[in-house]
Amino acid sequence: MSVTVELTYDLAKALGVRRLELEGTPTLRQVLALTRDRFGAEGATFDKLTRVTALVVNGVLVGQGRAQNTPLLDGDRVSFLKAAAGG
Amino acid sequence: MIKGYAGRILDVDLGNRSFSFRPLDEETARLYLGGKGYGTRLLYDLTPPGIDPLGPANPLIFATGPLNGSLAPQSNRFAVICKSPLTGGIGSGACGGSFAFGLKKAGIDILIVRNQSATPVRLEVDGDRDSVIFLDAGELWGLGARATQAALGKGRNHAVIGPAGENLVLYAGIVSDERIAGRTGVGAVMGSKRLKAVSVTGTRRLEVDDQEKFNDYTKWLRKLFRSHPVLGEKLRRYGTMGIVNTTNARNIIPTRNFKLGHHPDAMAVSGEYLEDHGLVGVKSSCIHCPVACGREVTVEGVGRVKGPEYETAALLGPNLEITDLRWVNEWNELADDLGMDSISLGVTLGFAMELQEKGLLQSGLAFGDATGVSAMIQDIAHRRGLGNDLADGVKRMSVRHGGQAYAMHVKGLELSAYDPRGSYAQGVEYATTNRGGCHVQGASMYFESTGPLTIDPQSLRLKAEIPVVQQNLACAINSMVLCIFTTYGMIPRQVHELDPKSRLYRTITYLFERSGPMYRLITKLKLRPLTWFEQWLTFVTGQTFTSGHLQEIGERIFNLERMYNLREGLTGADDTLPHRMLHESTFPHLDSGHPLDQLLPTYYRIRGWDAQGVPLQRTLDRLKVRT
Repeated sequence: MSVTVELTYDLAKALGVRRLELEGTPTLRQVLALTRDRFGAEGATFDKLTRVTALVVNGVLVGQGRAQNTPLLDGDRVSFLKAAAGG
Repeated sequence: MIKGYAGRILDVDLGNRSFSFRPLDEETARLYLGGKGYGTRLLYDLTPPGIDPLGPANPLIFATGPLNGSLAPQSNRFAVICKSPLTGGIGSGACGGSFAFGLKKAGIDILIVRNQSATPVRLEVDGDRDSVIFLDAGELWGLGARATQAALGKGRNHAVIGPAGENLVLYAGIVSDERIAGRTGVGAVMGSKRLKAVSVTGTRRLEVDDQEKFNDYTKWLRKLFRSHPVLGEKLRRYGTMGIVNTTNARNIIPTRNFKLGHHPDAMAVSGEYLEDHGLVGVKSSCIHCPVACGREVTVEGVGRVKGPEYETAALLGPNLEITDLRWVNEWNELADDLGMDSISLGVTLGFAMELQEKGLLQSGLAFGDATGVSAMIQDIAHRRGLGNDLADGVKRMSVRHGGQAYAMHVKGLELSAYDPRGSYAQGVEYATTNRGGCHVQGASMYFESTGPLTIDPQSLRLKAEIPVVQQNLACAINSMVLCIFTTYGMIPRQVHELDPKSRLYRTITYLFERSGPMYRLITKLKLRPLTWFEQWLTFVTGQTFTSGHLQEIGERIFNLERMYNLREGLTGADDTLPHRMLHESTFPHLDSGHPLDQLLPTYYRIRGWDAQGVPLQRTLDRLKVRT
């Protein structure tokens, strides 16, 4: 049982890995806390890099409130989302 | 003549090697602006129904608009219009570079090329002398776009084709500098005329109605663009590839011929990765553009060349299960130099790989394996061996080999790199856009998946309205002719800095999602010029343009394109998405794909069309669309 956390480019660069595998089926709130923990003393960097990001589970934007406390499912993919423009 | 226009159409006949200048029609310019709009009007009027797109009766129309040559940022683009050999409907492409600037300096708004030459030919147009010289292009025939332009020299502005256009690859494009009018096979039409290149020169100045106000406003706007979070920062720093990680997170990056919407290693083909790993040389831009979204990359054995755009990186990358940027850069360079659309190319290669996987075609190509791809791209451009098959695009391939359920096209045009299953408005836009499955005829995904303020991409709310408004706006922009990237600047920095987790953000998106008719009404208001498109047009032409005027002009153009398609045999049944998009899900919480059948009737109703997708007579009358 695990979930995958895909990092933004900036987060990945700061941590030196592109994604994290978290054991069990944590809630989104726990995912955020566990990811922040990986930054150790550099938690402020995590806060700064995720300030204007949304959380996405399997490609779907997740709202606030209850959704944050619902356990994820085995194999779920959590991503941090930043707005961008392409063409 | 209205200010902003040179006032002349150059009409060239390659059959008898004659030419004439005639005045631009003011009324048509008022109704259709220029560029794509004016060009579509000409195509409709000049051709009978049912012509062979690769035959002599199909005119190739290069069209500028009132903003070209004005020095407005992002205004050095031209439109190309003809009947598409790929779709059989309206063919259109738009291209940056410098050719539009050259045409306007030559005092030409529109260049019509008719008929066909018996041998390879190139044109030299001198607007100051009102001359057109027909020159033998035998020595240039077979050369790539880069070598062709180098041989033609720097004294003029060029539009050329590569071997793909010469060999009538159905998705060949037309190249100016390092940019390409890629979509719908306009390069094949140029190749069918055996026209290798058009070079223009001139020293005429564009007349602007209020030059002082225009200059002051443009100066201010350049500063705004340079400091804008998208135009001045993200696009400038990462190019369009800066969107890779966003579409991947949203589950809408095409992967494995659109079987999936996510690739675990997509980050390796992102703009950030490119920037960070020393693969970028200098930034590059179309002339007078402060954004400079292009970037040079180094390709082994070639040197520094223009790097891939997002579409190319996604469709030649994760779509083929390739995440090594060196390959993507090389294939992008091949496509550009051979003169073909890298979107259609990437989708076609992905389709060939899936056909191989399913045992329907022995292509020798496999997902995740770069072996043979470079050689296949060359073979496509020269129509050698199996390349001759792939040169016709996925629609025709699927008729020959099967696999129609996963032939990723709309109306014959291969899909762009935003999977509509996670972007419902974009799906409606793909299905209904007149030239086929293209993203730059509205870019609806910006409001639901990729932009700074997005509504739920998988609810049905506003998913018919957004494409209508966006398609109309895109038609107007492509008729000025401006780069669609200018629209990104409309969303101010404050919105980009909104935290998606905040209550304010959620309140705004909640209200926007429920705005429905109000949204359409607001965009139709004719109050005063607000955006820079409207301001520029007003300063340049001396006539007042507002959001409502642009929506009306855009709607008129869109309906004329629609009438052209209907005349050529396309129907409402062609307003659809590939089977895979409608019936397979890439999201675990859904068991089906895009709900097009629930959205299309609303879209038709908003458009003023009947249930079969035919514009009602009163709609055509209201818009003054003559058929």
